[in-house]
Amino acid sequence: MNWLSRKITFSFFIILSLGFLALFVIDKAVESRLNNLPIISNVSNFELTNFDNQKFTNDQLVGKLSLISFIFTNCEDACPIMSSHFSILQKRFYDSNSIQFISITVDPSFDSKDILKDYSKNYSIKDNWFFLTGDLQAIISLAEDGLFVSAALLPTGHSTRFILVDQNANIRRYYEGTDESSIFEIQNDILTLLDT
Amino acid sequence: MNIRLFFRSALLSTILAYLLIFIGGLVRVSGAGMGCPNWPKCGDNWIPPTNVDFEQFNLTLAWIEFINRSFGAILGISIIVLCFLSIKYFYSNKKILSISFLSLFLVIANGVVGGALVWTNLNPFIKTFHMILALALVSSLSFLTVESYKNLRDKKIILNSASLPNKKIILIFAFLIIIEILLGTGIRTNIEIIQTEFPLLNKSEQLDSIPFYKYFHTFLGFTLLFLSFYLYKKFSNHSLRIIKSLNTFILCMIIVQILLGELLVFFELPQLARLFHTWGSSWLVGISVIYYNLIDYELA
Repeated sequence: MNWLSRKITFSFFIILSLGFLALFVIDKAVESRLNNLPIISNVSNFELTNFDNQKFTNDQLVGKLSLISFIFTNCEDACPIMSSHFSILQKRFYDSNSIQFISITVDPSFDSKDILKDYSKNYSIKDNWFFLTGDLQAIISLAEDGLFVSAALLPTGHSTRFILVDQNANIRRYYEGTDESSIFEIQNDILTLLDT
Repeated sequence: MNIRLFFRSALLSTILAYLLIFIGGLVRVSGAGMGCPNWPKCGDNWIPPTNVDFEQFNLTLAWIEFINRSFGAILGISIIVLCFLSIKYFYSNKKILSISFLSLFLVIANGVVGGALVWTNLNPFIKTFHMILALALVSSLSFLTVESYKNLRDKKIILNSASLPNKKIILIFAFLIIIEILLGTGIRTNIEIIQTEFPLLNKSEQLDSIPFYKYFHTFLGFTLLFLSFYLYKKFSNHSLRIIKSLNTFILCMIIVQILLGELLVFFELPQLARLFHTWGSSWLVGISVIYYNLIDYELA
Protein backbone atom coordinates (compact mmCIF):
# COMPACT_ATOMS: atom_id res chain seq x y z
CA MET A 1 0.00 0.00 0.00
CA ASN A 2 1.54 3.28 -0.98
CA TRP A 3 1.66 6.47 1.03
CA LEU A 4 -1.36 8.12 -0.54
CA SER A 5 -3.74 5.21 -0.41
CA ARG A 6 -2.81 4.62 3.22
CA LYS A 7 -3.73 8.20 3.95
CA ILE A 8 -7.03 7.87 2.09
CA THR A 9 -7.86 4.67 3.99
CA PHE A 10 -7.02 6.38 7.26
CA SER A 11 -9.21 9.41 6.45
CA PHE A 12 -12.03 7.14 5.35
CA PHE A 13 -11.79 5.26 8.62
CA ILE A 14 -11.85 8.50 10.63
CA ILE A 15 -14.92 9.79 8.77
CA LEU A 16 -16.67 6.45 9.14
CA SER A 17 -15.99 6.49 12.90
CA LEU A 18 -17.28 10.05 13.15
CA GLY A 19 -20.40 8.96 11.27
CA PHE A 20 -21.05 6.09 13.66
CA LEU A 21 -20.37 8.31 16.65
CA ALA A 22 -22.82 10.89 15.30
CA LEU A 23 -25.48 8.22 14.70
CA PHE A 24 -25.04 7.03 18.26
CA VAL A 25 -25.37 10.56 19.65
CA ILE A 26 -28.43 11.36 17.48
CA ASP A 27 -30.05 8.12 18.60
CA LYS A 28 -29.34 8.86 22.26
CA ALA A 29 -30.78 12.35 21.85
CA VAL A 30 -34.03 10.97 20.41
CA GLU A 31 -34.23 8.38 23.19
CA SER A 32 -33.56 10.99 25.86
CA ARG A 33 -36.55 13.08 24.75
CA LEU A 34 -38.93 10.26 25.59
CA ASN A 35 -37.05 9.35 28.78
CA ASN A 36 -37.38 12.95 29.82
CA LEU A 37 -41.15 12.59 29.83
CA PRO A 38 -41.61 10.01 32.58
CA ILE A 39 -45.08 9.15 33.84
CA ILE A 40 -45.26 11.25 37.01
CA SER A 41 -48.76 10.38 38.20
CA ASN A 42 -52.28 9.80 37.01
CA VAL A 43 -54.57 12.83 37.27
CA SER A 44 -57.15 12.17 39.98
CA ASN A 45 -60.89 12.33 39.36
CA PHE A 46 -62.43 15.76 38.99
CA GLU A 47 -65.53 17.40 37.65
CA LEU A 48 -65.63 21.03 36.54
CA THR A 49 -67.72 23.03 34.10
CA ASN A 50 -66.76 24.78 30.89
CA PHE A 51 -68.02 28.34 30.22
CA ASP A 52 -70.69 26.87 27.91
CA ASN A 53 -72.14 24.90 30.86
CA GLN A 54 -70.77 21.57 29.61
CA LYS A 55 -69.33 19.30 32.27
CA PHE A 56 -65.65 18.52 31.96
CA THR A 57 -64.31 15.51 33.86
CA ASN A 58 -61.06 13.58 34.04
CA ASP A 59 -62.55 11.11 31.53
CA GLN A 60 -62.17 13.78 28.86
CA LEU A 61 -58.42 13.74 29.35
CA VAL A 62 -58.28 10.25 27.88
CA GLY A 63 -57.42 10.03 24.18
CA LYS A 64 -55.92 13.50 23.87
CA LEU A 65 -52.79 15.32 24.94
CA SER A 66 -53.78 18.05 27.38
CA LEU A 67 -51.98 21.17 28.43
CA ILE A 68 -53.36 22.56 31.68
CA SER A 69 -52.95 25.97 33.34
CA PHE A 70 -54.44 27.81 36.32
CA ILE A 71 -55.46 31.41 35.70
CA PHE A 72 -57.98 34.09 36.66
CA THR A 73 -59.32 36.86 34.46
CA ASN A 74 -58.42 39.74 36.80
CA CYS A 75 -54.80 38.67 36.90
CA GLU A 76 -52.57 41.27 35.34
CA ASP A 77 -49.07 39.86 35.40
CA ALA A 78 -48.63 36.17 34.74
CA CYS A 79 -51.98 35.09 33.30
CA PRO A 80 -52.00 37.22 30.13
CA ILE A 81 -48.52 35.87 29.31
CA MET A 82 -49.55 32.30 30.10
CA SER A 83 -52.71 32.55 28.02
CA SER A 84 -50.85 34.11 25.11
CA HIS A 85 -48.41 31.18 25.23
CA PHE A 86 -51.39 28.79 25.10
CA SER A 87 -52.73 30.84 22.23
CA ILE A 88 -49.48 30.49 20.24
CA LEU A 89 -49.47 26.73 20.81
CA GLN A 90 -53.15 26.45 19.87
CA LYS A 91 -52.45 28.21 16.57
CA ARG A 92 -49.40 26.11 15.78
CA PHE A 93 -51.22 22.83 16.44
CA TYR A 94 -54.47 24.06 14.91
CA ASP A 95 -54.77 21.14 12.50
CA SER A 96 -54.38 18.48 15.17
CA ASN A 97 -57.40 16.96 16.84
CA SER A 98 -55.21 15.12 19.34
CA ILE A 99 -54.45 18.12 21.53
CA GLN A 100 -56.61 20.12 23.95
CA PHE A 101 -55.96 23.11 26.17
CA ILE A 102 -57.47 23.54 29.63
CA SER A 103 -57.39 26.74 31.67
CA ILE A 104 -58.92 26.51 35.14
CA THR A 105 -59.92 29.66 37.00
CA VAL A 106 -58.68 30.05 40.56
CA ASP A 107 -61.17 32.84 41.19
CA PRO A 108 -64.52 31.13 40.54
CA SER A 109 -66.51 33.59 42.64
CA PHE A 110 -65.60 36.41 40.24
CA ASP A 111 -64.98 34.50 37.00
CA SER A 112 -68.52 33.69 35.99
CA LYS A 113 -69.07 31.62 32.86
CA ASP A 114 -69.82 34.79 30.88
CA ILE A 115 -66.62 36.43 32.02
CA LEU A 116 -64.68 33.29 31.12
CA LYS A 117 -66.38 33.23 27.73
CA ASP A 118 -65.38 36.84 27.07
CA TYR A 119 -61.87 36.09 28.25
CA SER A 120 -61.64 33.09 25.93
CA LYS A 121 -62.49 35.25 22.94
CA ASN A 122 -59.29 37.22 23.50
CA TYR A 123 -57.10 34.15 23.17
CA SER A 124 -58.79 31.08 21.77
CA ILE A 125 -59.50 30.48 18.08
CA LYS A 126 -60.76 26.89 18.26
CA ASP A 127 -63.10 24.87 20.44
CA ASN A 128 -60.27 22.70 21.80
CA TRP A 129 -59.51 25.17 24.61
CA PHE A 130 -61.68 24.71 27.70
CA PHE A 131 -62.03 27.43 30.33
CA LEU A 132 -63.18 25.60 33.44
CA THR A 133 -64.76 26.74 36.66
CA GLY A 134 -66.36 25.07 39.64
CA ASP A 135 -66.32 24.92 43.39
CA LEU A 136 -63.19 26.64 44.77
CA GLN A 137 -62.44 23.72 47.06
CA ALA A 138 -62.66 21.29 44.16
CA ILE A 139 -60.27 23.48 42.16
CA ILE A 140 -57.78 23.66 45.04
CA SER A 141 -57.97 19.92 45.53
CA LEU A 142 -57.42 19.29 41.80
CA ALA A 143 -54.41 21.63 41.81
CA GLU A 144 -52.76 20.33 44.94
CA ASP A 145 -53.70 16.65 45.05
CA GLY A 146 -54.51 15.91 41.43
CA LEU A 147 -51.88 17.89 39.57
CA PHE A 148 -49.35 18.61 42.34
CA VAL A 149 -49.08 22.36 41.87
CA SER A 150 -49.46 24.98 44.58
CA ALA A 151 -52.80 26.67 45.20
CA ALA A 152 -52.17 28.74 48.30
CA LEU A 153 -53.33 32.36 48.77
CA LEU A 154 -55.67 32.28 45.82
CA PRO A 155 -56.28 33.84 43.47
CA THR A 156 -52.92 35.66 43.23
CA GLY A 157 -50.90 32.79 44.64
CA HIS A 158 -51.83 30.33 41.90
CA SER A 159 -49.20 28.24 40.19
CA THR A 160 -47.87 29.60 36.92
CA ARG A 161 -46.82 26.18 35.72
CA PHE A 162 -48.18 24.40 32.70
CA ILE A 163 -48.91 20.72 33.10
CA LEU A 164 -48.58 18.32 30.17
CA VAL A 165 -50.89 15.33 30.48
CA ASP A 166 -50.74 12.43 28.02
CA GLN A 167 -53.51 10.47 26.27
CA ASN A 168 -53.86 8.16 29.30
CA ALA A 169 -54.36 11.06 31.73
CA ASN A 170 -50.83 10.72 33.08
CA ILE A 171 -48.88 13.83 34.07
CA ARG A 172 -45.70 13.84 31.97
CA ARG A 173 -44.01 17.18 32.54
CA TYR A 174 -44.28 20.66 34.09
CA TYR A 175 -43.17 23.93 32.47
CA GLU A 176 -42.83 27.48 33.69
CA GLY A 177 -45.82 29.01 31.93
CA THR A 178 -44.52 32.58 31.91
CA ASP A 179 -41.24 31.57 30.31
CA GLU A 180 -41.16 32.02 26.54
CA SER A 181 -38.65 29.20 26.10
CA SER A 182 -41.30 26.82 27.46
CA ILE A 183 -43.18 27.11 24.15
CA PHE A 184 -40.23 25.57 22.34
CA GLU A 185 -39.96 22.78 24.93
CA ILE A 186 -43.68 22.06 24.94
CA GLN A 187 -43.75 21.91 21.14
CA ASN A 188 -40.93 19.36 21.08
CA ASP A 189 -42.56 17.29 23.82
CA ILE A 190 -45.96 17.34 22.12
CA LEU A 191 -44.35 16.10 18.90
CA THR A 192 -42.51 13.38 20.85
CA LEU A 193 -45.71 12.21 22.52
CA LEU A 194 -47.74 12.39 19.30
CA ASP A 195 -45.17 10.14 17.64
CA THR A 196 -45.43 7.44 20.29
CA MET B 1 12.44 24.00 14.28
CA ASN B 2 10.59 26.96 15.73
CA ILE B 3 8.72 27.51 12.52
CA ARG B 4 7.84 23.82 12.55
CA LEU B 5 6.41 24.28 16.04
CA PHE B 6 4.21 27.11 14.81
CA PHE B 7 3.15 25.07 11.78
CA ARG B 8 2.20 22.14 14.00
CA SER B 9 0.31 24.41 16.35
CA ALA B 10 -1.59 25.96 13.41
CA LEU B 11 -2.34 22.52 11.98
CA LEU B 12 -3.60 21.29 15.34
CA SER B 13 -5.86 24.34 15.72
CA THR B 14 -7.20 23.83 12.20
CA ILE B 15 -8.03 20.17 12.88
CA LEU B 16 -9.66 21.09 16.20
CA ALA B 17 -11.68 23.81 14.47
CA TYR B 18 -12.98 21.30 11.90
CA LEU B 19 -13.88 18.85 14.65
CA LEU B 20 -15.64 21.66 16.50
CA ILE B 21 -17.73 22.43 13.41
CA PHE B 22 -18.64 18.75 13.28
CA ILE B 23 -19.65 18.73 16.95
CA GLY B 24 -21.56 22.00 16.50
CA GLY B 25 -23.43 20.41 13.58
CA LEU B 26 -24.17 17.43 15.78
CA VAL B 27 -25.65 19.74 18.42
CA ARG B 28 -27.86 21.23 15.73
CA VAL B 29 -29.13 18.00 14.20
CA SER B 30 -29.68 16.29 17.56
CA GLY B 31 -31.58 19.34 18.79
CA ALA B 32 -29.29 19.76 21.81
CA GLY B 33 -28.83 23.52 21.40
CA MET B 34 -30.87 24.31 24.51
CA GLY B 35 -29.45 21.29 26.38
CA CYS B 36 -27.90 23.80 28.74
CA PRO B 37 -30.62 26.37 29.36
CA ASN B 38 -28.12 29.10 30.23
CA TRP B 39 -24.65 30.31 29.21
CA PRO B 40 -21.76 30.19 30.04
CA LYS B 41 -22.77 27.92 32.92
CA CYS B 42 -24.83 24.80 32.33
CA GLY B 43 -27.52 24.91 34.99
CA ASP B 44 -26.12 26.03 38.32
CA ASN B 45 -22.61 24.79 37.64
CA TRP B 46 -20.03 24.88 34.88
CA ILE B 47 -20.42 21.14 34.37
CA PRO B 48 -23.89 19.66 33.79
CA PRO B 49 -25.23 17.61 36.67
CA THR B 50 -25.22 13.83 36.49
CA ASN B 51 -28.59 13.43 38.11
CA VAL B 52 -31.32 15.99 38.50
CA ASP B 53 -35.08 16.12 38.42
CA PHE B 54 -36.50 15.79 34.94
CA GLU B 55 -38.29 19.11 34.80
CA GLN B 56 -35.24 21.24 34.39
CA PHE B 57 -32.87 19.17 32.35
CA ASN B 58 -32.49 16.61 29.67
CA LEU B 59 -29.12 15.28 30.78
CA THR B 60 -28.22 13.70 27.43
CA LEU B 61 -28.80 16.95 25.57
CA ALA B 62 -27.00 18.91 28.30
CA TRP B 63 -23.90 16.75 27.91
CA ILE B 64 -23.93 17.00 24.11
CA GLU B 65 -24.05 20.79 24.40
CA PHE B 66 -21.45 20.77 27.17
CA ILE B 67 -18.99 18.78 25.02
CA ASN B 68 -19.49 21.37 22.28
CA ARG B 69 -18.67 24.20 24.70
CA SER B 70 -15.68 22.39 26.20
CA PHE B 71 -14.29 21.67 22.76
CA GLY B 72 -14.68 25.35 21.93
CA ALA B 73 -12.68 26.19 25.06
CA ILE B 74 -9.94 23.71 24.07
CA LEU B 75 -9.75 25.30 20.63
CA GLY B 76 -9.55 28.72 22.33
CA ILE B 77 -6.56 27.59 24.40
CA SER B 78 -4.91 26.10 21.34
CA ILE B 79 -5.29 29.45 19.51
CA ILE B 80 -3.93 31.39 22.50
CA VAL B 81 -0.80 29.20 22.28
CA LEU B 82 -0.71 29.90 18.55
CA CYS B 83 -0.80 33.65 19.22
CA PHE B 84 2.11 33.39 21.67
CA LEU B 85 4.11 31.44 19.11
CA SER B 86 3.29 34.01 16.44
CA ILE B 87 4.63 36.81 18.66
CA LYS B 88 7.72 34.80 19.39
CA TYR B 89 8.63 33.58 15.93
CA PHE B 90 6.73 35.72 13.48
CA TYR B 91 6.84 39.14 15.06
CA SER B 92 8.15 40.63 11.84
CA ASN B 93 5.67 38.75 9.66
CA LYS B 94 2.67 41.01 10.06
CA LYS B 95 0.45 38.74 7.96
CA ILE B 96 0.89 35.71 10.23
CA LEU B 97 0.83 37.82 13.37
CA SER B 98 -2.40 39.63 12.49
CA ILE B 99 -4.21 36.52 11.22
CA SER B 100 -3.25 34.67 14.42
CA PHE B 101 -4.89 37.37 16.49
CA LEU B 102 -7.82 37.53 14.11
CA SER B 103 -8.31 33.80 14.79
CA LEU B 104 -8.24 34.47 18.52
CA PHE B 105 -10.83 37.22 18.09
CA LEU B 106 -13.02 34.94 15.96
CA VAL B 107 -12.94 32.04 18.42
CA ILE B 108 -13.83 34.30 21.36
CA ALA B 109 -16.51 36.14 19.38
CA ASN B 110 -18.04 32.87 18.26
CA GLY B 111 -18.13 31.64 21.85
CA VAL B 112 -20.11 34.74 22.78
CA VAL B 113 -22.40 34.29 19.76
CA GLY B 114 -22.96 30.73 21.04
CA GLY B 115 -24.06 32.32 24.31
CA ALA B 116 -26.35 34.71 22.43
CA LEU B 117 -27.91 31.66 20.77
CA VAL B 118 -28.90 30.28 24.16
CA TRP B 119 -30.14 33.67 25.40
CA THR B 120 -32.33 34.08 22.32
CA ASN B 121 -33.67 30.52 22.43
CA LEU B 122 -31.77 29.50 19.29
CA ASN B 123 -32.68 32.39 17.04
CA PRO B 124 -32.24 30.96 13.50
CA PHE B 125 -30.38 34.03 12.23
CA ILE B 126 -27.88 33.90 15.08
CA LYS B 127 -27.42 30.19 14.31
CA THR B 128 -26.41 31.13 10.78
CA PHE B 129 -24.09 33.83 12.06
CA HIS B 130 -22.52 31.27 14.44
CA MET B 131 -21.83 29.03 11.43
CA ILE B 132 -20.45 31.87 9.28
CA LEU B 133 -18.02 32.91 12.04
CA ALA B 134 -16.90 29.29 12.33
CA LEU B 135 -16.21 29.25 8.58
CA ALA B 136 -14.21 32.47 8.90
CA LEU B 137 -12.25 30.84 11.71
CA VAL B 138 -11.34 27.70 9.74
CA SER B 139 -10.38 29.92 6.82
CA SER B 140 -7.97 31.98 8.90
CA LEU B 141 -6.53 28.88 10.58
CA SER B 142 -6.13 27.09 7.24
CA PHE B 143 -4.35 30.20 5.96
CA LEU B 144 -1.94 30.15 8.92
CA THR B 145 -1.21 26.47 8.36
CA VAL B 146 -0.36 26.95 4.69
CA GLU B 147 1.50 30.19 5.27
CA SER B 148 3.72 28.67 7.94
CA TYR B 149 4.21 25.59 5.79
CA LYS B 150 5.61 27.83 3.07
CA ASN B 151 8.16 29.17 5.52
CA LEU B 152 9.15 25.62 6.34
CA ARG B 153 10.15 24.79 2.81
CA ASP B 154 13.50 26.36 2.14
CA LYS B 155 13.67 25.46 -1.52
CA LYS B 156 10.88 26.66 -3.70
CA ILE B 157 9.75 24.56 -6.58
CA ILE B 158 10.22 26.74 -9.57
CA LEU B 159 7.29 26.38 -11.83
CA ASN B 160 6.22 27.82 -15.06
CA SER B 161 3.46 30.11 -13.88
CA ALA B 162 1.52 29.44 -17.06
CA SER B 163 1.02 25.83 -16.01
CA LEU B 164 -0.68 26.81 -12.78
CA PRO B 165 -4.40 27.30 -12.42
CA ASN B 166 -5.41 30.90 -12.80
CA LYS B 167 -5.79 32.64 -9.45
CA LYS B 168 -9.00 34.22 -10.69
CA ILE B 169 -10.60 30.81 -11.24
CA ILE B 170 -9.88 29.83 -7.66
CA LEU B 171 -11.24 33.15 -6.44
CA ILE B 172 -14.42 32.65 -8.46
CA PHE B 173 -14.66 29.11 -7.14
CA ALA B 174 -14.28 30.30 -3.52
CA PHE B 175 -16.81 33.07 -4.12
CA LEU B 176 -19.35 30.61 -5.55
CA ILE B 177 -18.76 28.25 -2.62
CA ILE B 178 -19.56 31.07 -0.19
CA ILE B 179 -22.73 32.02 -2.12
CA GLU B 180 -23.69 28.33 -2.17
CA ILE B 181 -23.20 28.07 1.60
CA LEU B 182 -25.23 31.23 2.20
CA LEU B 183 -28.06 29.79 0.08
CA GLY B 184 -27.79 26.52 2.03
CA THR B 185 -27.93 28.24 5.41
CA GLY B 186 -30.86 30.29 4.09
CA ILE B 187 -32.72 27.08 3.28
CA ARG B 188 -31.84 25.64 6.69
CA THR B 189 -33.00 28.79 8.50
CA ASN B 190 -36.20 28.80 6.49
CA ILE B 191 -36.93 25.17 7.35
CA GLU B 192 -36.38 25.86 11.03
CA ILE B 193 -38.73 28.84 11.01
CA ILE B 194 -41.36 26.73 9.19
CA GLN B 195 -40.82 23.89 11.69
CA THR B 196 -41.43 26.26 14.59
CA GLU B 197 -44.48 27.96 13.12
CA PHE B 198 -46.02 24.82 11.64
CA PRO B 199 -44.83 21.91 13.75
CA LEU B 200 -47.35 19.51 12.26
CA LEU B 201 -46.02 19.76 8.69
CA ASN B 202 -44.05 16.74 7.57
CA LYS B 203 -40.56 17.08 6.12
CA SER B 204 -41.55 17.15 2.48
CA GLU B 205 -44.24 19.75 3.15
CA GLN B 206 -41.62 21.85 4.93
CA LEU B 207 -39.33 21.60 1.90
CA ASP B 208 -42.19 22.50 -0.41
CA SER B 209 -42.87 25.66 1.59
CA ILE B 210 -39.42 27.09 0.86
CA PRO B 211 -39.40 29.81 -1.80
CA PHE B 212 -37.92 29.35 -5.27
CA TYR B 213 -34.38 30.30 -4.26
CA LYS B 214 -33.88 26.69 -3.13
CA TYR B 215 -33.46 25.80 -6.83
CA PHE B 216 -30.51 28.21 -7.06
CA HIS B 217 -28.78 26.08 -4.45
CA THR B 218 -29.13 23.02 -6.70
CA PHE B 219 -28.24 24.98 -9.84
CA LEU B 220 -25.13 26.47 -8.25
CA GLY B 221 -24.18 23.03 -6.94
CA PHE B 222 -24.06 21.70 -10.50
CA THR B 223 -22.21 24.82 -11.68
CA LEU B 224 -19.57 24.08 -9.06
CA LEU B 225 -19.47 20.50 -10.26
CA PHE B 226 -18.67 21.63 -13.81
CA LEU B 227 -16.09 24.10 -12.56
CA SER B 228 -14.35 21.51 -10.42
CA PHE B 229 -14.48 19.00 -13.26
CA TYR B 230 -12.85 21.59 -15.52
CA LEU B 231 -10.07 22.17 -12.97
CA TYR B 232 -9.62 18.44 -12.56
CA LYS B 233 -9.38 17.81 -16.31
CA LYS B 234 -7.17 20.75 -17.09
CA PHE B 235 -4.59 20.03 -14.43
CA SER B 236 -4.81 16.27 -14.28
CA ASN B 237 -1.24 15.96 -15.54
CA HIS B 238 0.22 18.74 -13.47
CA SER B 239 3.77 18.14 -12.30
CA LEU B 240 3.05 19.37 -8.80
CA ARG B 241 1.32 16.55 -6.93
CA ILE B 242 -0.49 18.82 -4.51
CA ILE B 243 -2.27 20.64 -7.35
CA LYS B 244 -3.52 17.32 -8.68
CA SER B 245 -4.56 16.17 -5.20
CA LEU B 246 -6.41 19.40 -4.50
CA ASN B 247 -8.34 19.22 -7.77
CA THR B 248 -9.25 15.58 -7.19
CA PHE B 249 -10.27 16.32 -3.64
CA ILE B 250 -12.45 19.27 -4.65
CA LEU B 251 -14.16 17.25 -7.39
CA CYS B 252 -14.85 14.36 -5.00
CA MET B 253 -16.13 16.71 -2.31
CA ILE B 254 -18.53 18.45 -4.73
CA ILE B 255 -19.87 15.08 -5.92
CA VAL B 256 -20.33 13.91 -2.32
CA GLN B 257 -22.03 17.21 -1.45
CA ILE B 258 -24.47 16.89 -4.37
CA LEU B 259 -25.26 13.30 -3.39
CA LEU B 260 -25.82 14.30 0.24
CA GLY B 261 -27.97 17.23 -0.89
CA GLU B 262 -30.17 14.96 -3.00
CA LEU B 263 -30.36 12.53 -0.08
CA LEU B 264 -31.64 15.42 2.04
CA VAL B 265 -34.40 16.24 -0.42
CA PHE B 266 -35.52 12.76 -1.42
CA PHE B 267 -35.18 11.03 1.93
CA GLU B 268 -36.63 13.92 3.92
CA LEU B 269 -33.58 15.36 5.64
CA PRO B 270 -31.94 12.44 7.44
CA GLN B 271 -29.96 13.96 10.25
CA LEU B 272 -26.66 12.29 9.48
CA ALA B 273 -26.73 13.50 5.86
CA ARG B 274 -27.49 17.02 7.11
CA LEU B 275 -24.52 16.88 9.43
CA PHE B 276 -22.06 15.77 6.75
CA HIS B 277 -23.52 18.16 4.17
CA THR B 278 -22.80 21.08 6.50
CA TRP B 279 -19.41 19.76 7.50
CA GLY B 280 -18.42 19.12 3.88
CA SER B 281 -19.19 22.72 3.00
CA SER B 282 -16.73 23.88 5.67
CA TRP B 283 -14.06 21.65 4.14
CA LEU B 284 -14.59 23.27 0.76
CA VAL B 285 -14.10 26.70 2.28
CA GLY B 286 -10.80 25.67 3.90
CA ILE B 287 -9.61 23.93 0.73
CA SER B 288 -10.30 27.06 -1.33
CA VAL B 289 -8.18 29.12 1.06
CA ILE B 290 -5.35 26.58 0.89
CA TYR B 291 -5.54 26.34 -2.90
CA TYR B 292 -5.48 30.09 -3.43
CA ASN B 293 -2.67 30.55 -0.98
CA LEU B 294 -0.61 27.83 -2.60
CA ILE B 295 -0.88 29.31 -6.08
CA ASP B 296 -0.15 32.71 -4.65
CA TYR B 297 3.03 31.24 -3.29
CA GLU B 298 4.09 29.38 -6.39
CA LEU B 299 3.57 32.47 -8.46
CA ALA B 300 5.52 34.68 -6.10
